[in-house]
Amino acid sequence: MTDRPDFRELVGDLPDEERARLERVHDLLIAAGPPPELPPALVEPDLDPREENVSFLPRRRAGFVLGIAAVVGVAAFLGGFLAGRQKEPFAEVFKVPMQGTAQAANASATIEVGKADAAGNWPLKVVLRGLKPLPKGQYYEMFLTKGADKRAATCGTFRVIQSGDSVRLNAPYNFRSFDGWVVTREVPGSGKHPVLLTTKSV
Amino acid sequence: MPAVVANDLTDGELIRRTGDGDRGAFEVLYRRYSRPVFGLALRRLGDRGRAEDAVQETFASIWRAARSYRPERGPGAPWLYAVARNAIIDRSRARYEPPAEAPDEASPELGPPERIEAGWTAWRVHRALEELSPNERAVIELAYWSGLSQSEVAEYLGIPLGTVKTRTRAALAHLADQLEKEGLG
Repeated sequence: MTDRPDFRELVGDLPDEERARLERVHDLLIAAGPPPELPPALVEPDLDPREENVSFLPRRRAGFVLGIAAVVGVAAFLGGFLAGRQKEPFAEVFKVPMQGTAQAANASATIEVGKADAAGNWPLKVVLRGLKPLPKGQYYEMFLTKGADKRAATCGTFRVIQSGDSVRLNAPYNFRSFDGWVVTREVPGSGKHPVLLTTKSV
Repeated sequence: MPAVVANDLTDGELIRRTGDGDRGAFEVLYRRYSRPVFGLALRRLGDRGRAEDAVQETFASIWRAARSYRPERGPGAPWLYAVARNAIIDRSRARYEPPAEAPDEASPELGPPERIEAGWTAWRVHRALEELSPNERAVIELAYWSGLSQSEVAEYLGIPLGTVKTRTRAALAHLADQLEKEGLG
């Protein structure tokens, strides 16, 4: 591609100020040129937690990532459960905050991610605040997402009784394939899955 | 779980955590920067294999040297760029170049300072591209570097022409937001 794309064709009519702003970006894009596609061997760093030195860094191995990129395992459903296990110790590796969307503006949550077992199960403890108890037959469900809160893999379903409840879920996936989490409200038969909590900015 | 925390952490914080041995942070950093580093290396070295080696050396250096990063001295991106540039320079020195006679006329190509500046700018533009959603990035890459017209982009992606224009405007605006934060754009 050597032709410079026509800026007016790209953006159509815009107010002068905005047009000037976007045209500066247009010029920078043209000056920068295309970013090359990464060779397969560089798409993913080879992170093997058992290794202790930098040898996990990407090596030139054709097709290495193609296998990794796929989600490990099939979407496994693991129902969440309440209070009974709340007092069991949970070895958290890191936390991810969730915030309420417009449909649950006062809700929030914290996902505590534990250490994965040898099979690749990541235990999750989700501390929920501000989610309401649901009518009989309805439940909440947590998903890993890919782009724009698109639900990609379930981490389990749960119900709550009161704010502050925590539930234990599981994510038997390769996290590199996802970019966030959401919690939806599920009403069987409705075909709707409103997102109430998300790890992304709202 | 690096991808999930990516949006919440600055480059500097990721480097700091990498210095503490946090592999998740390192992986996020890798995702953010591997393509820009590869692009920079390819541009400077002109060879994909050597560019791959430069990427590996860059991130190996980051892993080893992240503890030396000092947030008070500036944001993470310039530090990372300097590491990448050193790795690329080392890689370019590894090639034997026979001495050549000085040409009679000045080369029309950019001189070293201009090339460094152009490389830094391209790096930041490519880095900003990585922050776009896949949908927005697709319309930008197709529009600017595939040679497709907007109508052809719409046909290629199977979406209405109006959607392509809307996404393109939104993508450019998001890029402007990011680049303006860094003093570009």
